[in-house]
Amino acid sequence: MELQFTEFLYRDSILWISAFAMGGLCFALGPIAIVYLLMPLKTRQILKKRDQFIECAMDPIGDSWIRYGVVFYLYALIFLAFDVDVLFLFPVAVAYNGEWLNGSYRDFIEIVLFVGILSLAVVYAWVKGVFKWERKTYQR
Amino acid sequence: MGKEDIPTINEGVPSSIIQFAQLDKVLNVGRANSLWPLTFGIACCAIEMMATGAARFDMSRFGAEVFRPSPRQSDVMIVAGTITKKMMPGIKTLYDQMPEPKWVMALGNCAISGGPFAFEGQYSIVTGADEFLPVDVYVPGCPPRPEALLQGIIELEHKISGWQRWKSPKTKTVPSL
Repeated sequence: MELQFTEFLYRDSILWISAFAMGGLCFALGPIAIVYLLMPLKTRQILKKRDQFIECAMDPIGDSWIRYGVVFYLYALIFLAFDVDVLFLFPVAVAYNGEWLNGSYRDFIEIVLFVGILSLAVVYAWVKGVFKWERKTYQR
Repeated sequence: MGKEDIPTINEGVPSSIIQFAQLDKVLNVGRANSLWPLTFGIACCAIEMMATGAARFDMSRFGAEVFRPSPRQSDVMIVAGTITKKMMPGIKTLYDQMPEPKWVMALGNCAISGGPFAFEGQYSIVTGADEFLPVDVYVPGCPPRPEALLQGIIELEHKISGWQRWKSPKTKTVPSL
């Protein structure tokens, strides 16, 4: 019998699979439910500061939702450009000089195109002055 | 000597949805054997507390060596030292942030009664942790030796679960002469 794509392949195992899934779900959610049923429902409070975020007992000075200069995200983005570059060069290095392309310049041209396009990101950042280490002030 | 009105709390441990007596006993034995103290030394008694946690006195024999740096993970607050009035709101905050069930141990004379600072005219020291915390176990000493802290932990275990690690020695009556 030829198996069709639309046919459900594991019909005989559906019981086992669902039982396994249910078991996994119980193991994941069961402890949470048990703890919820057994835990004391509130904590004794003196100053009603249970929800204070800081756990070092001192009152925080100011809000943590402040604006600060994000300088490094640009470097992170540039890193990404280099990273993708290197990442995709590994398979190229493996396949380079393979038998099926032997004797032609096609692989060299392709890799030059590929690296060239990826390098445009770096060039763009360079032109934008990302690599200049200066304190930047942004318009708010 | 100025007397301040420092509110203390006198509630019992809040109850849970499901309560079975036998299950609670088992849970309490588990809690008693895995007390997690708060890493919280406010004065020199903390040195003794560190010694208790270290290898020579080995608090981990009693399951209580996991000093948590966050109040949200701990269930025993060892008030180890002098409580200044400046520190008192912090201690209250930490107590608030600890999850139930939670216990408080007053370690040393300062935490019990103010110790050497309880004199006429002092203005900066809270005379005793039990002025604002529900203290379960008092460990006297100035500072208490690590063995005393261990004894305090054993007493706390006994108080939590009713279960005793060792039988208390029988008191011998001395025949009167």
